[in-house]
Amino acid sequence: MVYIQAIANTIGVYMNQVGSLGLIAALAFAVFAVIAGVVGGRLRSLRATRSAERATLAFFAMITLSVVALEYMILTNDFHNAYVAEHSNRDLLTYYKVAALWSGQEGSLLFWTWLLSIYCALAVWLNRKKNRQLMPYVVAVLMGTGTFFSSLVFFIANPFQELTLAGSAGMQAYIAPDGKGLNPLLQYHSMVIHPPMLYLGYVGMVVPFAFCMAALITRQLGDNWIRTTRRWTMVPWMLLGCGILLGGNWAYAVLGWGGYWGWDPVENASLLPFLSATAFLHSVMVQEKRGMLKVWNVSLVILSFFLSIFGTFLTRSGIVSSVHAFAQSSIGPFFAVFIAIIVFFSVTLLFLRLDHLKSENKLDSVVSRESGFLFNNWILLALVFAVFWGTLFPVISKAVQNVTVTVGAPFFNKVAIPMGLLLLFLTGAGPLLAWRKTSFQSLKRNFTMPLILALVGGVGLVVGGVRDFYAWMTFFLCIFVMICILGEFWKGARTRMKTAHENFAQALYNLTMRNTRRYGGYIVHVAMVLLFVGFAGQAFKTNTKALMQQGDLLRINNYLLRCDSLINGDNPNYEYTRAMITVTKNGHAFASMHPEKRFYKASQQPTSYVAIHPALSEDLYVVLAGMDSDTGKAAIEVFVNPLVMWVWIGGVVFLLGTLLAMVPSRVEREMADIRQSQEMTVQAGNAY
Amino acid sequence: MRTRLATGFLIAVLLAAPAACAASGRPLTVDSLGNKVMCVCGGCVAPLGQCPHMDCGTKAEMKAIIQKEIADGKDEATILQDLSLRYGVQVLTAPPAKGFNLAVWILPGVGLLAGLAVVLVIVRRWRRKPAIEVARTSVSDDPKTLAAVEAEIKSSGLG
Repeated sequence: MVYIQAIANTIGVYMNQVGSLGLIAALAFAVFAVIAGVVGGRLRSLRATRSAERATLAFFAMITLSVVALEYMILTNDFHNAYVAEHSNRDLLTYYKVAALWSGQEGSLLFWTWLLSIYCALAVWLNRKKNRQLMPYVVAVLMGTGTFFSSLVFFIANPFQELTLAGSAGMQAYIAPDGKGLNPLLQYHSMVIHPPMLYLGYVGMVVPFAFCMAALITRQLGDNWIRTTRRWTMVPWMLLGCGILLGGNWAYAVLGWGGYWGWDPVENASLLPFLSATAFLHSVMVQEKRGMLKVWNVSLVILSFFLSIFGTFLTRSGIVSSVHAFAQSSIGPFFAVFIAIIVFFSVTLLFLRLDHLKSENKLDSVVSRESGFLFNNWILLALVFAVFWGTLFPVISKAVQNVTVTVGAPFFNKVAIPMGLLLLFLTGAGPLLAWRKTSFQSLKRNFTMPLILALVGGVGLVVGGVRDFYAWMTFFLCIFVMICILGEFWKGARTRMKTAHENFAQALYNLTMRNTRRYGGYIVHVAMVLLFVGFAGQAFKTNTKALMQQGDLLRINNYLLRCDSLINGDNPNYEYTRAMITVTKNGHAFASMHPEKRFYKASQQPTSYVAIHPALSEDLYVVLAGMDSDTGKAAIEVFVNPLVMWVWIGGVVFLLGTLLAMVPSRVEREMADIRQSQEMTVQAGNAY
Repeated sequence: MRTRLATGFLIAVLLAAPAACAASGRPLTVDSLGNKVMCVCGGCVAPLGQCPHMDCGTKAEMKAIIQKEIADGKDEATILQDLSLRYGVQVLTAPPAKGFNLAVWILPGVGLLAGLAVVLVIVRRWRRKPAIEVARTSVSDDPKTLAAVEAEIKSSGLG
């Protein structure tokens, strides 16, 4: 054991150098890849292109080396590294130590760069035999982004700095006996996975952007780039969506205010690229089917990448006040310059290629699937604008009237809820519209049943006591959309039952697997319905609070809470006070709940551990807010949160639906094989 | 006739719903105002109802002020105005719709209408554009087409 520790210490001494070496080597490979990519593209040189691709793989290897070096120091408690001393401590649980990598500015930027390198390596590897004309420029754009991030990590926010202490001879190297520990708010299981998911979502937008830029540069603006880009957009879109929901889950379980979404600037920043990518994933279908909306699609890819970099900038620059102030520093100006370059480069290129992006077809009817997508994009983009504007308004206000006003939930709810409801309506109505033209008879046939059932449900809701208009409207539309989607499955399965003589289960399975994209999409729409049901539940939230000690009772709705005892405890990481609460519902035993107030020793910060009893109908949510210094009683706050569980279920369904939509159907796989063999033949013919 | 009846019923329900829902009003409480004002302690950057600090003195002070004003019978607008006079306009979680701050409320609506105008222009242009049918290679949703493609693939020996 002593030997192992000695070896670890010896290796640890060199880890800062290893990490920095990895970064500078990665930067060199990235710069080389950009140059080789551009040369390969301009001179149509296979050798230069292959060099650029190998440099991209080397970039991934070098950044991985740096990540391993930093994780090694974190896991071995090497407190001669300033970042480790600032964000970890000896008694931190191992999986939180792993998460310390992304808990501070320097580490999270390194992590960002590593995820970028993974995407770049995957893009190069998966396209080694296809998209050959695009790849030189794809690599150049990917590695241009890699150059920015690796230079930022190496020169501005380097996590491989030695810890120093002011002494008589100036700043001297110092090894701290223990670290300051991880921010207590981050010591929650979903925080181990939420930032990686979110970052994967943000970072992944670079790949569609790179393909889009490459298509514009090479004027290869046919079907190929759009098909590739759609797939590469779905992955980060899915991860971003899951990351946002996991962040909501973290806020719900840790922050102790009984909600999961507060319209905080950093939350908004993650929503923006998700919305614009959602718009793209819909409008791209119009281009694939009808050769329309080409400029629009290119613009949406650019916008999604811009918003993902903007989101990263917003989180880290400190230009807006946020509760998520975990990783702020003065790197804002560098991001601003990078964003300006992206916008200038991409918009100029788009402008220069407008002639190649003309629509191939005319609109046959305003009542058509094409129009449905256009209206869906209109609402999504209006929502992007509203959220963007509201998020940035405090900065604009400060510049114009020298007052930093707050733009929070009341504004966003007022603006976003009506738009969200319109989107929800289109979620159901859009798929019922046919491509090219929808006849009145078809409209009547498709809409009558969903509307009648939604109206019956709507009347039932009013009779049942639903008095919040937005909640009522949400439930009404949820019923409508759900019937529309189920109807699509039912109609398709029934046709198969008749034509292929299958039973219902077989028909449903084969129907779905033969067109995974369409039916996966419908399942994502079901997820949206479930999410909106969860959102609407917020209208019926109730709460109460009281100071409690042993034997005290607190009533909320049908629940009666009794405080059995207050226990003080201690472990190596934190001290805690725990309330032992027994809950009865309608007079019957219901649950034992144990909310805690914790005080983390290393960081010297308090936090709460919320006790939640989740259920499909409502969550019982108990917070130990603090101890009253006069009476010694515990301040207990209780929320009854209806339908929250449906938000998390919606998240799971969203994930499953997106995964299904990404699985190529058999026909798609065969078509892809044909396309690839055709491309190989062309390449062989060109001897390129 | 049935279509007209159904449409009429739909419109009636949609018009009646807001009226039915407006009939209910929630009493003014400290918690109901908790999301309309920010905690100004300077540490949390969160609405009063969401301040995560356990022993926040500012939170307690602000809640006491709101409680007193509710007890005095003041309405929501007056309480919010009093708080903004006391702590500055930044205490409100949404700025009042006047002066320069009016822009924050107006522009999303303007954006929505401008977007609609763009959509209508695009639709109009599309309608005028002469049809140039181009053979597309995207995967069809039509079961008949899919079956034909599959049969062709099989017959070509690729299936």
